[in-house]
Amino acid sequence: DDQDEVNQNYLADEEEDAEQEAQMMMVPGLEEEEEEEEGKEEEEEREEEGQGQPTGNAWRQKLQIVTEYLWDPEKRMSLARTGQSRSLILVIYFFFYASLAAVITLFLYMLFLAISPYMPTFTEQVKPPGVMIRPFAHSLNFNFNVSEPETWQHYVVSLNGFLQGYNDSLQEEMNVDCPPGQYFIQDGDEDEDKKACQFKRSFLKNCSGLEDPTFGYSTGQPCILLKMNRIVGFRPELGDPVKVSCKVQKGDEYDIRSISYYPESASFDLRYYPYYGKLTHVNYTSPLVAMHFTDVVKNQAVPVQCQLKGKGIINDVINDRFVGRIIFTLNIET
Amino acid sequence: MKRKSGGSDSYRVATSQDKKDDKGSPKKSKAKERRDLDDLKKEVAMTEHKMSVEEVCRKYNTDCVQGLTHSKAQEILARDGPNALTPPPTTPEWVKFCRQLFGGFSILLWIGAILCFLAYGIQAGTEDDPSGDNLYLGIVLAAVVIITGCFSYYQEAKSSKIMESFKNMVPQQALVIREGEKMQVNAEEVVVGDLVEIKGGDRVPADLRIISAHGCKVDNSSLTGESEPQTRSPDCTHDNPLETRNITFFSTNCVEGTARGVVVATGDRTVMGRIATLASGLEVGKTPIAIEIEHFIQLITGVAVFLGVSFFILSLILGYTWLEAVIFLIGIIVANVCLTLTAKRMARKNCLVKNLEAVETLGSTSTICSDKTGTLTQNRMTVAHMWFDNQIHEADTTEDQSGTSFDKSSHTWVALSHIAGLCNRAVFKGGQDNIPVLKRDVAGDASESALLKCIELSSGSVKLMRERNKKLSIHETEDPNDNRYLLVMKGAPERILDRCATILLQGKEQPLDEEMKEAFQNAYLELGGLGERVLGFCHYYLPEEQFPKGFAFDCDDVNFTTDNLCFVGLMSMIDPPRAAVPDAVGKCRSAGIKVIMVTGDHPITAKAIAKGVGIISEGNETVEDIAARLNIPVSQVNPRDAKACVIHGTDLKDFTSEQIDEILQNHTEIVFARTSPQQKLIIVEGRLIFDNLKKSIAYTLTSNIPEITPFLLFIMANIPLPLGTITILCIDLGTDMVPAISLAYEAAESDIMKRQPRNPRTDKLVNERLISMAYGQIGMIQALGGFFSYFVILAENGFLPGNLVGIRLNWDDRTVNDLEDSYGQQWTYEQRKVVEFTCHTAFFVSIVVVQWADLIICKTRRNSVFQQGMKNKILIFGLFEETALAAFLSYCPGMDVALRMYPLKPSWWFCAFPYSFLIFVYDEIRKLILRRNPGGWVEKETYY
Repeated sequence: DDQDEVNQNYLADEEEDAEQEAQMMMVPGLEEEEEEEEGKEEEEEREEEGQGQPTGNAWRQKLQIVTEYLWDPEKRMSLARTGQSRSLILVIYFFFYASLAAVITLFLYMLFLAISPYMPTFTEQVKPPGVMIRPFAHSLNFNFNVSEPETWQHYVVSLNGFLQGYNDSLQEEMNVDCPPGQYFIQDGDEDEDKKACQFKRSFLKNCSGLEDPTFGYSTGQPCILLKMNRIVGFRPELGDPVKVSCKVQKGDEYDIRSISYYPESASFDLRYYPYYGKLTHVNYTSPLVAMHFTDVVKNQAVPVQCQLKGKGIINDVINDRFVGRIIFTLNIET
Repeated sequence: MKRKSGGSDSYRVATSQDKKDDKGSPKKSKAKERRDLDDLKKEVAMTEHKMSVEEVCRKYNTDCVQGLTHSKAQEILARDGPNALTPPPTTPEWVKFCRQLFGGFSILLWIGAILCFLAYGIQAGTEDDPSGDNLYLGIVLAAVVIITGCFSYYQEAKSSKIMESFKNMVPQQALVIREGEKMQVNAEEVVVGDLVEIKGGDRVPADLRIISAHGCKVDNSSLTGESEPQTRSPDCTHDNPLETRNITFFSTNCVEGTARGVVVATGDRTVMGRIATLASGLEVGKTPIAIEIEHFIQLITGVAVFLGVSFFILSLILGYTWLEAVIFLIGIIVANVCLTLTAKRMARKNCLVKNLEAVETLGSTSTICSDKTGTLTQNRMTVAHMWFDNQIHEADTTEDQSGTSFDKSSHTWVALSHIAGLCNRAVFKGGQDNIPVLKRDVAGDASESALLKCIELSSGSVKLMRERNKKLSIHETEDPNDNRYLLVMKGAPERILDRCATILLQGKEQPLDEEMKEAFQNAYLELGGLGERVLGFCHYYLPEEQFPKGFAFDCDDVNFTTDNLCFVGLMSMIDPPRAAVPDAVGKCRSAGIKVIMVTGDHPITAKAIAKGVGIISEGNETVEDIAARLNIPVSQVNPRDAKACVIHGTDLKDFTSEQIDEILQNHTEIVFARTSPQQKLIIVEGRLIFDNLKKSIAYTLTSNIPEITPFLLFIMANIPLPLGTITILCIDLGTDMVPAISLAYEAAESDIMKRQPRNPRTDKLVNERLISMAYGQIGMIQALGGFFSYFVILAENGFLPGNLVGIRLNWDDRTVNDLEDSYGQQWTYEQRKVVEFTCHTAFFVSIVVVQWADLIICKTRRNSVFQQGMKNKILIFGLFEETALAAFLSYCPGMDVALRMYPLKPSWWFCAFPYSFLIFVYDEIRKLILRRNPGGWVEKETYY
């Protein structure tokens, strides 16, 4: 209505100035639209005032205002600033942001000084340990057809790649053979390099890929490797190594008739703990437990849940299904 | 009622309004509707008061004894409609509600919410185990829109009750005479031409032309602001219908007496009806502040849409899926639009703090037209001076009578106080014994109340005095041995003096000679010149022989003497100026604002008050003053010599707008006296509101940067998201709300009134300097504070800043459950998400911490906070409130599930402290330079 009209006109006047502010933020398209609107309003205004000026004039004036705003030859100003004032403000902002950058750098430097590079300040969020399996292809469903090698070949490749670091020769060369059944504690300075215990590929026997290079996939008896997430300073209870046990998650529990575990103890030996962190414990090799599903119902999806068992292990967190357990499905077709 | 035709000879006293119109909206459009409003603004055009009773009756086809016939009344009622104010055209409630719910940028939020639900739906369809984040966010967004929508609807509903209060002014019942019969009818059924009888206590049912009256007085204060009841009689005493005595107005009150009149106007055609229409018509107009806020919101919405769309495109280019891009888009829109919600709320709050009308002309005020009664003065009549024993005494108005006093033992004073106490119908309302006399409520008119209080203070209980001296006007005396009756009388001094033959001096009656009359005149003029209302008092002991005890006095048929009385003295009352007014006027002056007083009072009174409050300053003279000083006729004085000017309302009517312009230009100090309500305007104190709104906006805008930069870095540098959408909502709708509003209560800076008035075309609410300060400088420091906390938490949990860049793809992959951190530890998805949400919480808390400093620096725009002080209690409350809210959100059990906010270690609260301190120091230094170097580069670039 009338009053609104007046206000809009009023706004239109303001928009000229507002554009200056909004210049940096507005989409060019938006701006043009607004200019159009302005133009229209101006026309209306003129008609209403009845001054009888040609409407084209308003357009030309608008254009002139905009061009003058972009470049005003008289005052040698562009975007309502002279080159001098523009460069001054740019320089000031440059120094302002440079000093802010210096401030944050200083604070981050202080942060680095304050926290230890060897031992995380807090580890409670990463405990209790999570569980992951190999082969891993961004999916926890193992679907393959025994008779079609291309359906399981990528698992074999993945496992082979993963086990490269566990090759016996490499382990013997890099790591020490430490006594089983007890922690491999290395006292001494934090920054001293730590030795790592050997975990040889051959420990995995039938699942090592040494005898059966297809890890059992070609016979419908797939090997799946399970590893526990590394946590700096984590130690299982003394004399009670973390064990792994798998069963059908839901459905008929006899869908899995037999599983072989390698090493046969189905546990992570105590000598692989504690972990001293990436920086000093360079060659640390995560211990593995291989599950050899030697007799599983074929041609049907079998949900499998593998759990860690042991003191200090939690395996029933509802909203995190990877803490202390892992669930995957096996669907082996023949 | 006729309206003056056309707008050619129209004038308006609303000069500042005119100016505003010229500046703000020079393009007059659709002039027709406006002309209607102009017509309304014009002086009431009524001619009935100038006609004789017979002419009026003839005009309305009525009989001034018998009244209308029933059928005729029905006929007119059918023609004119009921005698009630028409409510303004209303939009249906549900339309209003929907407008609040879907109008403007709430639609943006709705889009956001719908996108959220859509994203969730798609996730639910494609993934086995969709995260509920999007669903929650959608619900929260929808809730926010609905709640704010309901809230603003409620507020709008509240404001529309203004009109309803006008409805309540309509009288309920009226006593009309039809076919010679008196009958009670519903006031709505009163029609033009009806004969109506009113008596004391009634509300006038319509505009009446009085045809007979008995001691009728009406209270026109709701219409004219005149607090004194005015006599009504059948005679035309004035050309102006508002001034003449033979018209009473719809919805005013009859205080005493009875009157009979012919209805000349009903419903919307009455004077009050026109004002009601005017008032509701004015609501349509947008105030400058509303325009500013609209502009601001448009700007912010523009920014939001621009940022949202460019982020959307950017994230698509960077290879995110369109679903992810949509989620980013939602985040950006939410961050920006919720911000405007706060701003809008705050603006509304601001408008509620002062009343909405007062914001009308805002900081752009160049002229203030002020009403006298109630605005400049306290609207509390007080006895200021007395004249007796040929001497002017100052009345003592202190509660304990400790002020300067006069000889109370004087017989004349005793007589005077007797008269004032007895010839007075004002009584204290019950149950006020413990309240100081000056503050008690009184039933009675203003001057009698003033007298009552004065006498109560100086001579003790008036009630007792009245009990001892029974009957009104003629009293038995206290002295049991004295059987004479006492006649007391008060009134206009010159009339009283005319009835007197003697004067009481030092307790002795003396003949009233020329010398005494001269003394009386001088005292009267002196008191009158002070702008005081003067009353004369006299008494007379009726001779016992003529009026023995038990004599039947008859007031209607005066059977006792009312001449040759004994003059006792004068008392004068003043409506004292408010204590803060002279100072305020001075401040306005120094700010270059012209202050004009507009009042219905007598010019002499008006001038005196104007001088008292500094509207006419010391030494400035009006034309009349100069004429009196030089002893020449007024016409010979060069009007340019007079800086001050008192204009009579009736003269004003005859001025052309050019003449008014000339007067406004030539005189710096102007008083309009005897003006009608249509000519009055409202005092405006808008600068503070504008200033504080600016501060509020600067405060809220600042947190926009720490809200948006996390998204920016998340998308550009592929780091885990530092601040989530829910936490952004918590800031914008939670912690920032009270502090932003509290800035509205901030006291003015010392220089506020020394600044020039705001130019609405160049000084805007949000200017590039404000943006540059809020976004470019303070906001950046805030963002650093937030990021620092984020880095600290991630680093302490094992993810050092160096490892973060590029980690996002694996970080947000649900199937990666052995993500390695800088120490070689491996994290499951949920474990690292808990850390991420802890980071969100910490970022949120950091923003709260840096907003402390921001709030304190936003208190002032130029002064140091050490000059300004921390006196704003609401602001201090706001600081505690936001902190408590942040702590609650972080530590309340269940928040990890509800909002995914996790408890923080105490040390993480301190991460942002240095940045808070940095903001404070940075801005204090900036303001120091600003003050030291006025007009310098820093002011030009950073003073918003």
